[in-house]
Amino acid sequence: MKTYEVFLKKVGRDEFRHAGALEAPDSEMALMYASETHARRAEGAEMWLVERGNVLVADAAILAVNDDKPHRHNDGGRVAARRKEQRDGDER
Amino acid sequence: MSLKAAERAHLLALADDEHMVGARHTNWIGLGPFLEEDLAFCSIAQDELGHAIGLYEILLADDPDRNVADLDEFAMLRAAADYRSCWLAEVECSDWNDSLVRHWLYDRAESLRWGALTCCSDGRVAALANRALREETFHLDHAQRFMSRVASVDVTGKIAASIKRLFPIARGLWDELATGDPVGMDFASRSVGELAVEWEALITDDLKKWGVDITLPDGNVATDQAHRTIRSDGFGAFHADLQRVILLDTSAVW
Repeated sequence: MKTYEVFLKKVGRDEFRHAGALEAPDSEMALMYASETHARRAEGAEMWLVERGNVLVADAAILAVNDDKPHRHNDGGRVAARRKEQRDGDER
Repeated sequence: MSLKAAERAHLLALADDEHMVGARHTNWIGLGPFLEEDLAFCSIAQDELGHAIGLYEILLADDPDRNVADLDEFAMLRAAADYRSCWLAEVECSDWNDSLVRHWLYDRAESLRWGALTCCSDGRVAALANRALREETFHLDHAQRFMSRVASVDVTGKIAASIKRLFPIARGLWDELATGDPVGMDFASRSVGELAVEWEALITDDLKKWGVDITLPDGNVATDQAHRTIRSDGFGAFHADLQRVILLDTSAVW
């Protein structure tokens, strides 16, 4: 048996999203089973299956380098805090 | 009543077949050979029960003595002699190989039967047939794909043994009810006799395609089934099992 990762996409502009995984003896059977295991209630209008062995897996160490880089989190929080500080100062 | 006697009999035979085979398939819930197959097979069982409900609704709506509210009673509580299911749908298949072979033989036939009703003169039947046929695409794909993978490497001979056991019983599926006038071409576009010939050719082609070298048994148990009026061995226990919950409280509204 092989393991397949299932991705579903709804109608419209949504992207494909990972829906789960399943086991099947081969690709043809995997496609058949996927419609029942992951889309039996019309959860998606399009479906991708990828055999897990074909997924490129990144080294966790490469990702860990970016754990401590808050300056890349440009969500505007620090700017907003500074402007609030200025406003409060003006009011005083 | 807009349906003729022969049309009612034709629909009742299909409805009872769907009910019995769907109920038999559900025996595998939680017991399938692997989870994905368990789910697929149970979905097929659910679909078959859905087809039965659709047909029972049409029959009850057309019956001056009953109405759609009587569906559960009609489906579950008839006397055994009043069912018109074929033996293939009724028989116990306690081995997975038997169930799989039954599924293939039955769905090969079921697709042809619904296909002949897609242009039925009764709009309700035609609509149900078109819906059922869409579901049948999956059922047939499933049966053929699974069978093609196990029948071609049947080292234990279990699949071949199941085919030999069930094929003569399956032939009885084509025993049309004796109701006088046959169903007209405006109701079912092809006669039961025509469908039976095509079914047997499709079964033979499948086996050839899968490299299964087996001589199909000549026997035909259709006469024993006496136009679907005699129940198969073991039906009593199966029927009692189907009724176990509904009989807990017959006045309950489910």
